[in-house]
Amino acid sequence: MTTTTTEPNPTEFEGGIVLETNGLTKKFGALTAVDDVSLEIESGTINSIIGPNGAGKTTLFNLFTGKHEPTSGSIKFRGVDIGGRKPHEIVADGIVRSYQITNFFSELTTLENVRLATQARQTGFRPTDFVRHHGSVQEPIDEARRVLERVHLGDVAQRRAANLSYGQRRHLEIAISLAADPDLLLMDEPTAGMSPEETRETVELITEIAEDVTLVLIEHDMEIVMDISDRIAVMNMGSLLARGTPEEIQQDDRVQEAYLGGGDRD
Amino acid sequence: MKAVTEFFDRSTHSRTGNQLLSSQGRFALLVSIAVLAVAAPIVQMIHPFWLNLMVRMMIFALLALSLDFVFGYAGLLSFGHAAMFGAGGYAAAIVITEVTPHALVVLPIAVVAGVVIAALIGWLSVRARGIYFAMLTLAFAQMFYVVAFTDLPATILDRGSVTGGDNGLYGIGMYELFGIDFTSTLMYFYLTLGLVALSLAIIIRLANSQFGRVLQGIRENEERIEFIGYDVQRYKVVGFAISGGFAGLAGGLYVPFQSVAHPGLLHWMISGELIVMLLLGGMGTLWGPMLGAGLVVLLEEQLAGFASWEIILGGIFVGVVIFAPRGLAGILISLRNDPGSAVENAKQAVRDYLEAVRG
Repeated sequence: MTTTTTEPNPTEFEGGIVLETNGLTKKFGALTAVDDVSLEIESGTINSIIGPNGAGKTTLFNLFTGKHEPTSGSIKFRGVDIGGRKPHEIVADGIVRSYQITNFFSELTTLENVRLATQARQTGFRPTDFVRHHGSVQEPIDEARRVLERVHLGDVAQRRAANLSYGQRRHLEIAISLAADPDLLLMDEPTAGMSPEETRETVELITEIAEDVTLVLIEHDMEIVMDISDRIAVMNMGSLLARGTPEEIQQDDRVQEAYLGGGDRD
Repeated sequence: MKAVTEFFDRSTHSRTGNQLLSSQGRFALLVSIAVLAVAAPIVQMIHPFWLNLMVRMMIFALLALSLDFVFGYAGLLSFGHAAMFGAGGYAAAIVITEVTPHALVVLPIAVVAGVVIAALIGWLSVRARGIYFAMLTLAFAQMFYVVAFTDLPATILDRGSVTGGDNGLYGIGMYELFGIDFTSTLMYFYLTLGLVALSLAIIIRLANSQFGRVLQGIRENEERIEFIGYDVQRYKVVGFAISGGFAGLAGGLYVPFQSVAHPGLLHWMISGELIVMLLLGGMGTLWGPMLGAGLVVLLEEQLAGFASWEIILGGIFVGVVIFAPRGLAGILISLRNDPGSAVENAKQAVRDYLEAVRG
């Protein structure tokens, strides 16, 4: 088991396909939120999913993380079908998501927020998990501190999460997900609502993380998307409209029409 | 003394910035236990009845503690804790009458009865959240009430009587342990005090363990804790079962002391009163609800002479919820942190409320 988030992915997956969906469909009653989506995510790449609101991007994340079960089609993670697996099992497999809205444990300290995630991998229902004081199990604490340093939150480790600034909260959000030691990290609008300065910092952080974690982003800021993505998937009304490199997407007429508004881009 | 505080909690400094009780708080708990132990013989001399009341206060404090572990600490709003209390009580009554009155046999069985019932109710209810979970626990507890009231086990097993139906089981014998005479209220007081203190120590231990931290995470943000890799439902069921064990122990202490097990133990009124104890005491602090339980039992006893003492208890309850939403524990904590401005804080609370009412 990989115990630190700084180690690279196992080499056997380097350059291979980490995640693969085939005819993935999710229906809520009469509404088809995700419609016959087939795509592959290559290991070690940054992938962006773009599309208008209601295009099914978040539902796709919910399918990948086990929040929803696919109506039909398959999701394979490293070749193993994960459709219908429970969220906590999928996290253990290596798929973790971060949230668009700040979604953490606001009454707990910054450190404890992250420590809960690092603890998850080594705790369970053994007798010692019930009797040992959480403060005397050193490994998750050390690891949480390392993750906090990495996202530049080391100075506020003891502060209550509710008292963090907006930018710090967004970084904590990413830190919690990182602490769960993902091989594949799904990030839901990591720069939403940020000032240009905060956005720049976060983009730097994302590219740093991408050195050893495969990333899938939902992002609305086209500049960022075009700048950092290796591959882009465009969704519209639940379907996959196009897939390709930033250059290919920018030149795709259907995408221009449906999403980029048909205007000329430089 | 240090060895004792360490028993309560080995790690005296918190490296994660999270500690259920400060070392000062743990010391205060130990002092309270010591004061109770010393005061008991004196109370006995002055007025024996008061000692009897103190035993009941402590038993309900244990019951409130067990509920706070899942409700205040893990955010599981259980409205059915009477079921585990009653299960422990009936188990104790039946074992004492039919098998043996040995405390080391009966009390563990009462605990197991509470665990089993709680695991069952928990397993069936944790899929629902919030108020739906509360309603399910209430419904299951009421089912157990009906089972005891109609003596369903006797019908199923084709025996004369198991739970004694609406009469209950009476004339329950007293515990035996190392030749101690527990018919003496003083001895029973010490048995109860010892077990309540032990339970508190264990629950504080659990709350500070890695398991306990996950429960707290569930209270804070159930969705997120699931998506960082925890099996939330399993944690809830295990937490609920543990809580049920302590509720069962409370039942096992209550029944021989009252020498009767009746369906009223399982009634939702008990569960409801428990919620009042928690809110009055300040949930999530563990010691607050124990204070709240003591206060409610005391008030019931003292005010029972009045025609409608519930109105007085209700009044106090409303007052606490409005002016001190964090309960007695909240009042005590703010008094400790800032004793100088206590009067000012109280005035402020009244002003805030009046302003809120005026809109």
